[in-house]
Amino acid sequence: MNAARHSAETVLEASGVTMVFGGLTALNDVSLSLPEGRIVGLIGPNGAGKTTFFNCLTGLYTPTRGAVRLRGKELPHDPAKVTTAGIARTFQNIRLFPNMSVLENVLVGRHIRMRQGPLASLFHGPGFRRDERRAREKSLELLEFVGLRGVEDEVARNLPYGDQRRLEIARALATEPDVLLLDEPTAGMNPQETEDARQLIFRIRETGISVVVIEHDTKFIFSLCDTVSVLVQGEVLVEGSPDVVREDPRVIEAYLGKPREEVEAEVAEAAAHHGADHQGPAAGRRDDA
Amino acid sequence: MTRLTGFLPPALARPFNAVGAALLVIAALLPWATFLLNDGAFPDKATLQFFDAPLAVTGFRWQLLLIGVAALVLAFVRIPGQGRVLRALGWGGLAIGVVGAIFIASEGGGLGAITAADGTTAFGSIVAVLGGVALVLGSTALGIPDIPDWPTRFFGLSGWPLRLAAWVVLVVAFGGVLYLVSLTLTAGGIGGAADPYAGPIFLAFLGFAGALLGALHGAGVTRWVSRLSEEHRGFSILVLVACAFALPFTEAGSQYWMQVAATIGVYAATAIGLNIVVGLAGLLDLGYVAFLGIGAFVAANLSGAGASALGWDLPFPVAALIAAAVAGVFGAIVGSPTLRVRGDYLAIVTLAFGEIFYRSAQNDIGELTGGASAIPGIPPISMFGTAFNEPLELFGAELPSGVLYYFLIVLVVAAIMAVFANLKNSRMGRAWIAIREDEDAARAMGIRTGKAKILAFLVGATLAGLAGAIFVHKLGTASYESFQFLESVTLLAAVILGGMGTIPGAVLGASLLFVLPEKLREFDEYRLLVFGLALILIMRFRPQGLVPDRVRRAELAGETAMGKSIEEAEEQAVLEHEEALSAQKEDRR
Repeated sequence: MNAARHSAETVLEASGVTMVFGGLTALNDVSLSLPEGRIVGLIGPNGAGKTTFFNCLTGLYTPTRGAVRLRGKELPHDPAKVTTAGIARTFQNIRLFPNMSVLENVLVGRHIRMRQGPLASLFHGPGFRRDERRAREKSLELLEFVGLRGVEDEVARNLPYGDQRRLEIARALATEPDVLLLDEPTAGMNPQETEDARQLIFRIRETGISVVVIEHDTKFIFSLCDTVSVLVQGEVLVEGSPDVVREDPRVIEAYLGKPREEVEAEVAEAAAHHGADHQGPAAGRRDDA
Repeated sequence: MTRLTGFLPPALARPFNAVGAALLVIAALLPWATFLLNDGAFPDKATLQFFDAPLAVTGFRWQLLLIGVAALVLAFVRIPGQGRVLRALGWGGLAIGVVGAIFIASEGGGLGAITAADGTTAFGSIVAVLGGVALVLGSTALGIPDIPDWPTRFFGLSGWPLRLAAWVVLVVAFGGVLYLVSLTLTAGGIGGAADPYAGPIFLAFLGFAGALLGALHGAGVTRWVSRLSEEHRGFSILVLVACAFALPFTEAGSQYWMQVAATIGVYAATAIGLNIVVGLAGLLDLGYVAFLGIGAFVAANLSGAGASALGWDLPFPVAALIAAAVAGVFGAIVGSPTLRVRGDYLAIVTLAFGEIFYRSAQNDIGELTGGASAIPGIPPISMFGTAFNEPLELFGAELPSGVLYYFLIVLVVAAIMAVFANLKNSRMGRAWIAIREDEDAARAMGIRTGKAKILAFLVGATLAGLAGAIFVHKLGTASYESFQFLESVTLLAAVILGGMGTIPGAVLGASLLFVLPEKLREFDEYRLLVFGLALILIMRFRPQGLVPDRVRRAELAGETAMGKSIEEAEEQAVLEHEEALSAQKEDRR
């Protein structure tokens, strides 16, 4: 960790974000600050509100209260405008454009950085061709960067799972973001692919892009992030460096489950009470499913 | 890789092929109808009574003979893609036989007409059916092979000689297409009293043309030509346009066929516009013909027609541009609800708009549509001192009246094609496709989906409005009846049938959907039934459309990335597994 990073200015700041669906409070007063050039992790059990929080950050949802600021400027509640302002995202369940080629997917990511009016699109003048050529070059560079060079003409749907995740990242990077939001980038990946993803995210940080990662894999998060926030039932439970979060007893209880001895003791107790009814150690775990 | 789909053991392939082919040849040389039918002798001397010269075969019998001889040769000579070629020929022979048998039997009042009566026999159609079935069975017995790939660099040529050779191939290929189009249009004549057998003759010709195209496709020729034309794109477009302009100089160059061709052109132009909305942006529009109507009525009111309440008289190009612009504005208006509704709901909104337009035009709202009495007497387009409904003399050839409309619509269709292709390969086109694929993801990429969707409607409607302006001048009357819901559905069917998101698809689909009803007039009340049946068959056996998009082709034909079908890939895996097993057994021994 170099010293410059510690004094970095805050690039993305969410303050007091509250999201209420009907009577359900999905997020309650969640704040997060992302310093420039850092990787911030967001962990929490299923249903804790991680993806809802992402949707508030990217303008897909309008938060009931609270605000999101990018470099001090409040963001509008419109995904297209948020992307233009400099926030790009990937989705938990991959959402590529399945029937477009790999290259075309990335070119769609270039959409807001291209300068083509409807008339230029119609007549394909020299300016159009220059713009198009630049976009292709840039897109191919990005495919090279994520390690997908050579399959650019393949249909996105036909890519292996891990490559689809990487393509989604390339597409997000094509929008030239200041902040990249990754929603479970390693879900369903094997250990090798997970390690590749970790290296890729480090390389993304090297280019000056700040990253927020949602992930279930705590080992992955603790080895990747500069700071980690733990979200439980819509509220931030703990925030701090991986070492601090890892050792915090509340986190261990809320997210990782209670210590094994305690769970076993509980189960034994329950078994004593209910006789033959007990259903094994899983019944005592609170974060299950 | 060969797919095993046949019903027969492979050993029977050659005998069945040979016998089937021979039967087709024999059928072509036999009489087909036992006695004189109600509408007169069956064409091409196929009626026993006129069957004086068995070897002087013409028309559908000549076509059947060609199929039979080709199949007979191919039963013994091995070529790449043989199974596919023979299968296509078999289906073609079968189709000709079935069409003839059904028609002669029904006209002649029973099976006696195609079999035997009073000691005379005319088994032609039955022999053709048997031959077709045998050929189909025989050709599939060996399994259906892959379509062979031909290299786009051939004879070791390179540079200019290669380019010239490719150009020659393309000219020949497109020339062939032109000839086929002209034959298809004129096959069976114009029907009615003059040609009582136009329907069956046309259908039999379709069987022949289908067999021919199927055989060329099976042998890999069409794929090779399409790849060549992609490599020489500019030249191909040039030849294609030239071929379109050459159509009036062929057999189809009569007033009637030029009118039919120009009408097809109008619908093709409209279908390409609809293809932007449906094929690219994925917005289902069920009221699209309203934009054609808006263009038509605007142009009608600006043309100086006496019956128009407005009575303006503007030169055609100006009127056409205004018609297109007004239709475009309405397109944007109809498109605006797309910001709020998606999918099925949007289809209902557009359906409602189409109906509103139809009813308004019917009731002459604003006195702009003439209501039930329509707006008659729209003068023909007149430019450069020539009225477009006059005959024309060009290069020493007398061209019929109406040919100028045909030339105009060819130019317009070419221009609209260019618009479509350019838009598709631009930032805007990619945004449309992205919206079709996943609207939320498209928004996350910064695409203003609302604007993009309205723009799609606007562009599509503008093109339809332009087509409507030509349509109404060509017809001379603007009547609300031309813009019914059924027309919208037919246009949508043209786009889906031809292949979503492709230009040749929309043109081919429009041609088929507007030629078939024209050619099937013979069948009166059965016309739409036959038409619907044809649609069902095409969608069943070619769901991706006749000319599919690269991607949709893969999606709907179940092809893997390597261009193999999923079944093929699985079969290959099974075979490899079996081979490995037998190899293990060998080892153990």
